[in-house]
Amino acid sequence: MKLLARIPNRELAAVFVSTVATFSFLSATFRTKDNIEDILAGFSHIGLLAIGQAFPILLGGIDLSVGSILALSGMIAFDGFLIFGLPGPLVIPVMLLAATTAGAINGLLIVKCRLQPFIATLATMAAYRGLTYAISGRQIFPQLATQSINDDSLLGFDGNIGPFPYAFFLTVGVAVLAQLVLSFTKFGRDLFTVGGNIEAARLSGINVGQAIVISYAMSGLCAGLAALILVSRMTTSQENLGIGIELSAIAAAIIGGVSLVGGTGNVIGPVIGAFLMGVILIGLSLLGVTTYAQPVLTGAVLLGAVYYDKLAATKRTHRTGTAA
Amino acid sequence: MTTESLLRATELTKIYGSMVALSNASIEVRPGEVRSLVGANGAGKSTLIKILTGAISPTAGEIVIAGRKVAPGNPRRMIELGIAGVYQHSNLAPTMSVLDNLYLGRQPTLGWGILDRHRQRADALALLSKYQIDLDLDARISELPPVKQKEVEIAKALALEARVMLLDEPTAWLSHSEVERLFRTIRTLKTRGVGIIYISHILDELYEICDTVTILRDGLVVEDCPVASITRPQLLKKLIGDKLASEASGQAGAQTRYPRGTGETKLACEGLSKNGAFDDVSFELCSGEIFCVTGLIGAGRSELMRVIFGADSFDGGRLIIGGEEVLIKSPISAMERGMGFVPEDRHRDGLMLKMSVGQNLVMAILTLISRFGMLRPGLMAHAVSRQISTLKIVPSNPQIAVRKLSGGNQQKVLIGKWLQKRPEILILDEPTVGVDVGAKAEVYAILRSLRAAGAAILVVSSDMEEVMTISDRIMVMRGGRVQGIYDANTVSEYDIVGHVGGQ
Amino acid sequence: MAQLAQGRWIGLSSVFRSGWMLPVVLIAICAIFTVIKPVFLSSENLLSIVHQVAIIGIMAVGMTFVIMTGGIDLSIGPVLAIAGVFAADILALTAGNLALAIGGALGVAASVGLANGLIVAYLGLPPIVVTLAALSIVRGVALLIAGPELHLIRGPAMFLFIGEGPILGVPFSVYLFAATVVLAVIVQYRTAFGLSVLAIGDNERAAFLSGHHVQRVKSLTYVICAIGAGLAGIVQASQVHTASATYGMGIELDVIAAVVLGGTSLSGGAGSILLTVSGVLLIGVMNNGLGLLNIPIEMQLIAKGLIIIAALTVSSREN
Repeated sequence: MKLLARIPNRELAAVFVSTVATFSFLSATFRTKDNIEDILAGFSHIGLLAIGQAFPILLGGIDLSVGSILALSGMIAFDGFLIFGLPGPLVIPVMLLAATTAGAINGLLIVKCRLQPFIATLATMAAYRGLTYAISGRQIFPQLATQSINDDSLLGFDGNIGPFPYAFFLTVGVAVLAQLVLSFTKFGRDLFTVGGNIEAARLSGINVGQAIVISYAMSGLCAGLAALILVSRMTTSQENLGIGIELSAIAAAIIGGVSLVGGTGNVIGPVIGAFLMGVILIGLSLLGVTTYAQPVLTGAVLLGAVYYDKLAATKRTHRTGTAA
Repeated sequence: MTTESLLRATELTKIYGSMVALSNASIEVRPGEVRSLVGANGAGKSTLIKILTGAISPTAGEIVIAGRKVAPGNPRRMIELGIAGVYQHSNLAPTMSVLDNLYLGRQPTLGWGILDRHRQRADALALLSKYQIDLDLDARISELPPVKQKEVEIAKALALEARVMLLDEPTAWLSHSEVERLFRTIRTLKTRGVGIIYISHILDELYEICDTVTILRDGLVVEDCPVASITRPQLLKKLIGDKLASEASGQAGAQTRYPRGTGETKLACEGLSKNGAFDDVSFELCSGEIFCVTGLIGAGRSELMRVIFGADSFDGGRLIIGGEEVLIKSPISAMERGMGFVPEDRHRDGLMLKMSVGQNLVMAILTLISRFGMLRPGLMAHAVSRQISTLKIVPSNPQIAVRKLSGGNQQKVLIGKWLQKRPEILILDEPTVGVDVGAKAEVYAILRSLRAAGAAILVVSSDMEEVMTISDRIMVMRGGRVQGIYDANTVSEYDIVGHVGGQ
Repeated sequence: MAQLAQGRWIGLSSVFRSGWMLPVVLIAICAIFTVIKPVFLSSENLLSIVHQVAIIGIMAVGMTFVIMTGGIDLSIGPVLAIAGVFAADILALTAGNLALAIGGALGVAASVGLANGLIVAYLGLPPIVVTLAALSIVRGVALLIAGPELHLIRGPAMFLFIGEGPILGVPFSVYLFAATVVLAVIVQYRTAFGLSVLAIGDNERAAFLSGHHVQRVKSLTYVICAIGAGLAGIVQASQVHTASATYGMGIELDVIAAVVLGGTSLSGGAGSILLTVSGVLLIGVMNNGLGLLNIPIEMQLIAKGLIIIAALTVSSREN
């Protein structure tokens, strides 16, 4: 399919394959089925967050609040299951709805209050985190902190087929769906247009405000889905869930070819990028590199990806002369 | 074909604060008519176009399309009603393909928002073959040269089934054969009953392709007639104004000119080239002269100035200052060699609008007014007050934010900033755009006194009257090349306009 | 203010106009808190406010320079932590060499700032993402060097004096804050560098075409910001007698909030150290008042987020 022929992802896939090969060669533990499962289970939620992050970045923005939205969703799950004793089919949609709404609010702040994306999402990062603490059942009922969530529909997300966790399939499924939207719908075209030349988009009659709000809502929704996976695996949730996770999401998206200038990218790349980071981090830790080095590596990878992105962007416009 | 007009705009007025951009302008286009819209820079053409395409709303006036009155200020509505504009700036999404751009924002769908790729491609191919435009549908816009991008813009407008198409300086970047192709397309459009508003300075084009002409000057329509009924000299007179023309020529005639100034060459270009901007530019600039570079948009003049001042790099040729070949890598090194640069867009490139007049005036001389990095208020105050009084900047309070000043005074601040440095070479790009008549005269006086002091002055200007008033020598650029260098004593305004337009 | 700033050159009217709201709001909020909890206005409480904000204040002053050029620095939290850790470890290793400890701490901070500045200014990468990456890298390096545990600082007395030592009843940190403000104001209004910072923030292209060393100036603002964070790290280590690689988490929000509240525009240009100080005081007053009212921490987080949004919305409306 045309999807697989996209050039940026071909390079990325090659890098991914060679990295996996290198670590498999260097470490016997790396090659095991358990390890594959660990990587997939450990980074599926990053993959989801990266898919979500692709939308705001495609528009030339950014979403720093995904960690807080994730925590908020998780806490809603905690409260819903353990305090109110509600069933999964009720709690899960509420979780996702809250996450999507939180994202939509980000979009509205950017459109209606005309805030720059980074400061709007920096502010909501704080506000949503505060809200998470405020509604935290763990504070009010400390005894619940050690109790596990026992809901079948929730736990249903935490299973495996061979070394492949359900979470991985969820991530891939969302990626495919999102990519179909980006490639085959008018809405997808509109997103690229807004990201590429916002004035041209406006003049073409595209509802730019709506595109922005929906994109940030998607980012929120993906954070909610990521929360779903995490809570399912941990059978509980914490107030400090997801602190700092936005860095990994952004890094994965940029590695995946979503350009910070906007208008270029897809959601398959970010997923590969997320698992590539997983391979690197886990691979290195299996080789004996301390876990404290992980934030350093993640940061370095982000820097490298941004630099590469800038070079690619300059090359893309190299041949245009000065348009009046 | 009916004779009812496709578009009729009457008494359009647009006022920005205290500036009148357009005053009671009326324009009408009939099916199959190519109406040219001419006017000097700042005459109000852009404002008129923006109103007609709905990008801005007029302060007064009405627009009637196909007999129905239309509410202004709604670009989407205008597009729906068949008014399409092809501008100088890009209206394309650079990261997307030609195919996507042709139907930007209106791609055909199969319900549920899913794109109908087959139909889109089929429609596009039909369109391209109908108008004989040659484009690779899958090419990315950012990878196309400017020429091709212009073609996409035109095809995009055609895809909108425009009934009235506004072409804003469409041949600015096109070669001769491409212009011919464009004209063929326009003629095809004419036979299909499309109306076109054609904006251009190039008189040859006007007389070749247009049926009627509307002349704008200082925001007013001064002429509206068939092209066949007006001669070029008459057109030129209307363009620059009868009264001003004779004043200018009177003034011009009375001027003493100093072609080649003192004879000492301060700056020389030999075969200077920059890919995509200009090619093989050679000229000499002497101290004690005002050297005007004129031409149309796309002629490469501003790019040339930026290269000379070190703001951009060049690809070939040599730059020689004071007799030795130099490589100027940045404005800082240009300034070290005694150059100053007053850019074309004073808001975007020249002034710090939120800062005060005083602060702006010292922007280029910070090292001169400080010791060990600390500013000396005394030196600063002295420098500032001297400039304010010499240039008669109004209001004279140095603390006022520069954005509050009128256009003319802002320009004086910008020039004053460079006068502080006593430059040996001063480059000015369109120094009196948006400046009122009184301030214009003051600016000219400043330039003349600079010249008298021995400075070499390079002025880029599209204002013919200005060129004839102040220059000692004139260089005409066309399509990135030097068309010719003329002694202002021996050449007339008519000649120059002719050279600019391509005779 | 007028004497300090040699009024003539800043367009005092514009400063006051954009900043008039803030002192009024500050006084209003103080009045409200005093009415609810009269102890708010006691000299001890007021002093503790300024004492607490000294750290955020010093960092906000540095951040103002970066924001004035249209940039941002998200890495100040870990820089604070690593500077504190360096100070603590050097004191321990050299048996109390104050000069070396302070020098080392500020030196490491300045290096981080220099790295940030060079990457943003010369490579042209976006500040948000670069400093976000730096945040992660520096935090990781700090943890690698010092581990997550607390490093105790027992002396020398001179070091401990920095954070809390009283002079005339006022903690030294307050004087340090005041001195930083004075220095920054002098730099902003009386140096060519300061004028250049404003110019670049107002119109970078014009500054470039006027012969300013744009890249050099921009890099230096990041160095200044990081040194501010380093100084704050020293002050904090001195105050709590410990240093840790985990300190300073989330402090960038307070600092940015203070600058934004003060009215310095995030897109650069219009900005003022003195307005930032008002913003810092406002944050301090709010933290203190909400604490007196026993409002839980999470509400303060929400409040801070909302305040940033409100302040920015108002200023974007004004434009």
